[in-house]
Amino acid sequence: MYKLILKMAWKNTFTRPARTLLVIIMIAVSMSMMLAIQGLYDGMVKSMIEKNKRSASGDISIYAKDYRLEKDIKYSIKDAAKIKEDIQKLDGVKAVVLRVMADGLLSTARKSSFASIHGIDLKEEERFGSFSEFLKEGKISFKKRGSVIGIELAKTLKVRIGSKLIFSTQDSSGEINSIALKVRGIIQTTNIVLDSNAIFMDITSLHKFLGTPPRDATQIAIMGENQKLLHILKSNYQNLDVKSFLELQPMIKQMQEMMVIFNSITFLIVMSVVFIGIFGVVYVSILDRIREFGIVLGIGMQYKYIRAQIFLESVIVGVFGYVGGALLGLILLIYLRDYGLDLSSFSDALEMWGYEAVIKGTIKVSYFTTTFGAIISASVLSVLIPIRKIKKLNPIEVIRAEK
Amino acid sequence: MFSFALKNILFYKGRSITTFILTFVSAMLFVVFVSWQDGSHNSMLENSLKIYTGAIEIYHKEYRDVGGNEYLIRDAKTITDKLSRISGVEAFSPRYETYGLLSSKDYSSASMIAGIEPNKEKLLSSIALSLRDGKFLDENSGNCLYMGDKLVKKLRLSIDDEVSFVGGASDDSFAADIFKLCGIFKTGSFEFDSTVSFVNRSYFDELMYAANKASYITVKVKDLDDVDRVNSEITKALNDENLESLTWKSLMKTMVEAMEVDNVFGYISLSLFLVVIFFVIMIYGFINVSSRIKEFGVLRCIGLSRQKIFSLLFYEIFILSSAAFIIAVPLASYICYYYSINPIVIDGIAEMYKDYGIVSDEIPFDFNMWTISWNIGVIYLLNSLSILYPYVYINSFEPIEASRHV
Repeated sequence: MYKLILKMAWKNTFTRPARTLLVIIMIAVSMSMMLAIQGLYDGMVKSMIEKNKRSASGDISIYAKDYRLEKDIKYSIKDAAKIKEDIQKLDGVKAVVLRVMADGLLSTARKSSFASIHGIDLKEEERFGSFSEFLKEGKISFKKRGSVIGIELAKTLKVRIGSKLIFSTQDSSGEINSIALKVRGIIQTTNIVLDSNAIFMDITSLHKFLGTPPRDATQIAIMGENQKLLHILKSNYQNLDVKSFLELQPMIKQMQEMMVIFNSITFLIVMSVVFIGIFGVVYVSILDRIREFGIVLGIGMQYKYIRAQIFLESVIVGVFGYVGGALLGLILLIYLRDYGLDLSSFSDALEMWGYEAVIKGTIKVSYFTTTFGAIISASVLSVLIPIRKIKKLNPIEVIRAEK
Repeated sequence: MFSFALKNILFYKGRSITTFILTFVSAMLFVVFVSWQDGSHNSMLENSLKIYTGAIEIYHKEYRDVGGNEYLIRDAKTITDKLSRISGVEAFSPRYETYGLLSSKDYSSASMIAGIEPNKEKLLSSIALSLRDGKFLDENSGNCLYMGDKLVKKLRLSIDDEVSFVGGASDDSFAADIFKLCGIFKTGSFEFDSTVSFVNRSYFDELMYAANKASYITVKVKDLDDVDRVNSEITKALNDENLESLTWKSLMKTMVEAMEVDNVFGYISLSLFLVVIFFVIMIYGFINVSSRIKEFGVLRCIGLSRQKIFSLLFYEIFILSSAAFIIAVPLASYICYYYSINPIVIDGIAEMYKDYGIVSDEIPFDFNMWTISWNIGVIYLLNSLSILYPYVYINSFEPIEASRHV
């Protein structure tokens, strides 16, 4: 019996092909657009998080108490090298780096700007976050007082590869000290703070310049996604400030939360409108066939079979729309993942906000599963009212009624 | 045709109610969303302009791109004399800016130090109004320093404390002095408050050997909407190819661009809703005409032209859209107006997004009748487009065939 019902549902779905096709196109277009927008926005946030982790905080960062408030080398972690060795032995740790930072004035012969100098070990940074991938121009090298500068800072100071810079700051003894550096590379991390403020040099040379002990550091950054690891580090180093990525970046946490809210609202509104669209078509389709339903009820067909047939008709439309939307959406998502949305004409603005000029999307299986659930639900719910109308039918009256 | 369309609307209630509701929702969504987006952008720009950046700034060419003392304005007085004769100019003042290191007893920090004319600056920017402690500068302030609160905190200073300065003078010689902290300001802009200090120009000129020199001349115009006209008058009056007069649109190009990007993303999101609603309105229109094929066939048989059929469909959608707009426009306009004078406040948003130049927790809407009009125009257009396929569908039937349609 159900095989026959399926056959009837299939035939009825395409009795009015233009109408059915319009609903399928509506579902497919709205779903593919929704998937593309979701993938694009998630891709933006994902890229921001990933690059922030690789260039700055890692999954977990450790500072001396008060350092984040005071930003002063006086608040360095004593014997950070020993702490680093200990952390490397812990389970779940992928990479650990030490960094030294100091704020000061960066000048060329013509321009000056506020900057923070970052002492890093290039080999370790490469293991930690593939530092060389941030390179936009020149090369990553600290040889012969070489340095690497953030793209926005380079724009502010109008420096190019080979330009000479003077960085002045207060050293550990409180004296104003200056160091001459040469720009070897320009990097874009898409971390807004680093791109607009940071200049990188060799950590050992920076220790010498600042007069700080070579085993000290202002930051220990750790890669290793593990809540347990965070808990262990917090309990092992209670005299230090141990923070997870999201604790250090409340803005990104808020952006993630806002993205979830935005996606949910978008989803709800779009699905409500899709529901109205399917409902209209199903309702009219039932009204068109009201005599037909009266006749089949009159010759003894049970109501549950008619109900099943109508449900099937709606689900068939939903599934077709879903398949169309999923295919179109997948094509859009693959394009956005591989080629991205090119906004090069707004590159200055995007770089200022810590985004790349080409914004790449991301693909998650959950986009497709959630949408499938929503479209099938909308299809099923949209037939509830029309079905009630059939249930109340008096077969004889309907057959006698003028069409 | 109009009354015929009206009768059809009243007869096909289901379609009419759905189209009405969806048009109402899309109009409300579009108008309120654009108002919120424009309002928050305008507020960011206005805040930035209010704090320090001028509506127009006059530079020696190359100063912004190359920099350096050789590109300072050498004869500021001649330019300011010309500015005083331009009608749209409300106030102006030459500023001398330099970077240097400021040190307290134990701490040092880099700072931008700007030599300003205190009385004129009160007319030009909100830095005087941003006073938090001590006093603002005046013409007799001498070596008084007016400093951002974050920088004060960084240097651990209190009012009347001494601060040493080391930097380069306008003739490239070494400049150093001891200043006294007289006032502390807080504009809300994180970067500005943690890096900038001000000194009375007459005192600073002596120290920096900068009399009659300026990094640039800032200009306030009487009417911001008139800025392009005033700027072209200034360029004409200056008549000097070594000088450039730039409006805030060029000075804050990156911020303006950033807002355009934000608009792009906003419209992408909004287009999703509009496309879905467009489809549903079209589907309901299509269902409606497909149940009236016979009626259209008869109308064609008795001599109604295709154009008249189109007019009939157009009138139907026009009446339904207009009815929705009659309610949506005043309601959406009221929401925009209300939130333009009573901005939404999200506590902590300025602190959260301080790196992005957000200085206020308030998000005002923009109330602009022109914007509301074009928003409604777009919905009208979309609704009108939704009748195209139903119209093509009806015309795919020959009149006789349609009149016999069951």
